[in-house]
Amino acid sequence: MSESIILKKCGVRFTPPALIVTYTNDVGKLHRRTMPLRNFNKNSGVSRIVQEMKENKRHEKYLRHMSPLQLEKLIMILHDRLNGISLDECVMRNKGLDTVDPEEDLNKLDDVTLKRKKEIMDATFEKNRKKREDPDFKYDVEVDFEQGAIESCEWDSDKESDEEF
Amino acid sequence: MEDASLPSYDPKGDANETKIKIICLGDSAVGKSKLVERFLMDGYQPQQLSTYALTLFKHKTQVGDQEVHVDFWDTAGQERFKSMHPSYYHQAHACILVFDVTRKVTYKNLPSWFTELRHYRPEIPCLCAANKIDVDYSITKKSFNFAKKHKMPFYFVSASDGTNVVKCFRDAIKAALAYKSNSTDFMDEIMKELDNMTLDGDSISSSGFDATEQEEDKESAAKS
Ligand SMILES: Nc1nc2c(ncn2[C@@H]2O[C@H](COP(=O)(O)OP(=O)(O)OP(=O)(O)O)[C@@H](O)[C@H]2O)c(=O)[nH]1
Ligand SMILES: [Mg+2]
Repeated sequence: MSESIILKKCGVRFTPPALIVTYTNDVGKLHRRTMPLRNFNKNSGVSRIVQEMKENKRHEKYLRHMSPLQLEKLIMILHDRLNGISLDECVMRNKGLDTVDPEEDLNKLDDVTLKRKKEIMDATFEKNRKKREDPDFKYDVEVDFEQGAIESCEWDSDKESDEEF
Repeated sequence: MEDASLPSYDPKGDANETKIKIICLGDSAVGKSKLVERFLMDGYQPQQLSTYALTLFKHKTQVGDQEVHVDFWDTAGQERFKSMHPSYYHQAHACILVFDVTRKVTYKNLPSWFTELRHYRPEIPCLCAANKIDVDYSITKKSFNFAKKHKMPFYFVSASDGTNVVKCFRDAIKAALAYKSNSTDFMDEIMKELDNMTLDGDSISSSGFDATEQEEDKESAAKS
């Protein structure tokens, strides 16, 4: 039988690299679990390590309570830190990854970062989503907005505006 | 990229069965894949072509008395996949150009997507979709000049709550059919040949997408 646990805190240890979680079990007793990242070095790919951790049978029990985003974040911090980036900067970089800047061009991102940006977007996507199972679901939803379009979008009136607009 | 397994859309086929190809363009994360998935719901079998950057969704539908096989081609907006774009555009009959109303940069990048589209497919109908209106419906009170300027049909859509997705895609299918049945355009024939030539070589360079070079290419194509 799988024991039901509630994660309390997640963190990292830098040397040797490990993920650490504290959790309470069935009877509410607080525990701590250290999951060493054995082959982790500064050249390890973040997404591969995340995948390995998720698939690790012994860690699965704890990690499945952690959001994929959180797990990626922790591994990313470890990775950056091993590459000589200061802790402050690691944290800053992570903050940047947690927001989507409307001016930022996402066409040049690496896969891991793009995936994270999409995961952030997924929150709103899922919240507003109409699923087939929903009682008011309609396949073809047509709304005519033409009437409303009175004001021209300020995106068109920028000084930097491209010739082609 | 070109291989024998790629479907051909050229033959006009018999009167009651038509094959068309519709492509989706736009920046990374604007919601191209989510839009196709919303339109097709569960009735699709996506097919990954040679690289994971390209997904082919097959769809069968009835328009009038015609049975239409639609292939939706969905590619990643990521810049490093630019080199495979020639085959992406090849023989496309319509295009849905998508931007994200929550991210200005995706709107600002429309001209460059459009220029690239017109380089390969000067005449195919192009529809513009402003996605993610569910995030803030007040955006639908605004008008966007880009679509107007290029005389494109414009749709406020949401892959999330479904608003206008079906309408937009059905219009794209109709436009593609109309294009296919009247596609005797001279320029288009030339572009077809050019497309084939490009596809024969395996050295498709991404620098060829440079704006100035594109203009030249087009001119020399018209002369030859
Ligand atoms: N709120 C909201 N979010 C959306 C909508 N459509 C897409 N998204 C979000 O945007 C993210 C990116 O969507 P994708 O469909 O993966 O974008 P794409 O254009 O296919 O991106 P690339 O394949 O990288 O070029 C998704 O993970 C969703 O979270 C929408 O209509 N509303
Ligand atoms: Mg996609």
